[in-house]
Parts: sequence; C-alpha cells; structure tokens
Amino acid sequence: MSKVKVAACSGIGKVFGLLSREAGLKVTEELCPELCEAVCLARVMTADEDAKESIEGKTCIAVDGCPKMCAAKTLEAAGGNVKAAFRAVDTMRAHRGEDAGTGTYLTEAGWNMAGELAEQVSEKVKELAKEEA
Amino acid sequence: MADINIGAFKMQIGVISCSGEEMLGGTLTRMATRKVMEELRPGQAISLCLPLFLAGGEEERNFAKNFPVISVDACEKHCARKSTEKYSGRVRDCVVLTDFLDPEVIFSKTVSMKDLTEEHYHMVDKIAEEICKKIDAASAGS
Repeated sequence: MSKVKVAACSGIGKVFGLLSREAGLKVTEELCPELCEAVCLARVMTADEDAKESIEGKTCIAVDGCPKMCAAKTLEAAGGNVKAAFRAVDTMRAHRGEDAGTGTYLTEAGWNMAGELAEQVSEKVKELAKEEA
Repeated sequence: MADINIGAFKMQIGVISCSGEEMLGGTLTRMATRKVMEELRPGQAISLCLPLFLAGGEEERNFAKNFPVISVDACEKHCARKSTEKYSGRVRDCVVLTDFLDPEVIFSKTVSMKDLTEEHYHMVDKIAEEICKKIDAASAGS
C-alpha cells in the first residue's frame, strides 16, 4: 500500500500559507508518518516526472491556506486522486478575533490553529489509509 | 511644485522561492525570502506566491512579466525559476542553495519552524544576503 500523499500550499504572502505548511509537516512527521508522506508541491507543479509519477492515481490530501486552493488544483492537474482538501482559512474562521501571526511566524494561537488543522488532516489520513488497506 | 527625488526611487523586484516541502532547503528559501521582504529590502522586494503563480494567479504572473524577478531554489530542480520562465519569461537572476551551502544539509529532513536551530538561522541570513546582492545588481542594471 502506498502512503497517502499530503501536499501543503506553503503560500508565502500571508499567515494562511505558513499555517498550512506547519500543519502538513506535523501530520507527515509527527502524527502519522507511517501512513502518509509530504509532497513537494513546486515539483509537482513544474511537472517533474518523478513527482508526477508519485502522484498519478494516488490518494492525496491537499492542505491549502486560502480559498484559491492551489494545492488541490495542482494535485488534480497532476492526476492525483484528491480525496480531501482542507483550508487553513476555515480553521482561522473558527477562531475569529485571534491573531495567528504572519507569513513569517506563528503566535501561540497560530500554533494551536496549526495543531488543530493537523489533527483534522491526520484523522482523514487514518480513515483513507484504513479504506485502502 | 513638490520635489520628486528620483535618486531615492527603487524599482520593485519580485522574489519567488520554491519553499519545497520535502527538504530543509525549502523552509530556508521561504524564510530568507520573507526576511528580505520584511527586513532587508522592504518596499522593494515583493514576494511572489509560487503555488498561486502556477495555479493561474494573474496578478503574480503579470508582475513577473513586467518587473525583474529573482528565483530562489533549494535544489538543482530549479522549480521556482522554471515556473517563472514558463509563465512569465526569463528571471533576472537566480539563487540556488546547493551552489553555496552544504547539499547534505539542504536535502536533510525538513523541520518545523519551532525546531530550527541557530545554525539554520545563520543559513537563512546567508541566503538572504545572496538574494539582496542579486536585488541590488538587478536594481542597478534596470
């Protein structure tokens, strides 16, 4: 069974991108490294053959920052089977009024949001891995 | 009539980093680009969002068509440079981390911002310095 592919957008302009990046990293490195792995989105985007091959027809999860959904769109364009797409902006919405930080750093509230998003993503990873087993 | 200080004018320069998620180098390119934009060349360095650029962001693509762009890539795949060239034309210059930092470190496992060490921050400073050199050269040549 191949691992679930997790692609975070890592957008550089705003805090959403950093939230998605840190959440994705927490999932792939801490919460369920045995079930999923990170995908370098830039490589997929530039149609790098190895990266494309690792995505095509595979179960993927996109962790986007904003409603533009760049990670989900890119995975789909590369032939990935996108089973779930998360958005950091939705996590932030549930914490309206809290300062998450900037594109450079996360505040304590921001780290909590990244953790919360990572938990949601990891639950989905476990569910998908179970389906595929 | 108000004085216009032409000498103080600094042309905006786009900086696009690969921010690759599979290796430490990606984290470093992202951090260095942010540092240049916020601290070292504020108002002059404009960060371009690579995922948005590739997913059809017209604003990013048009900026790169009309202003000089410096690409910042972690590895020899040159994803940031190639993407810019595919959608907007040649980059003015590029920074590639493996050209001046230990590739073993660049290709090492990525870490959370929480776990970055002093050594990592030194590398970010070095990368940011390289980006600034390219920005200044592009600015002088424009």
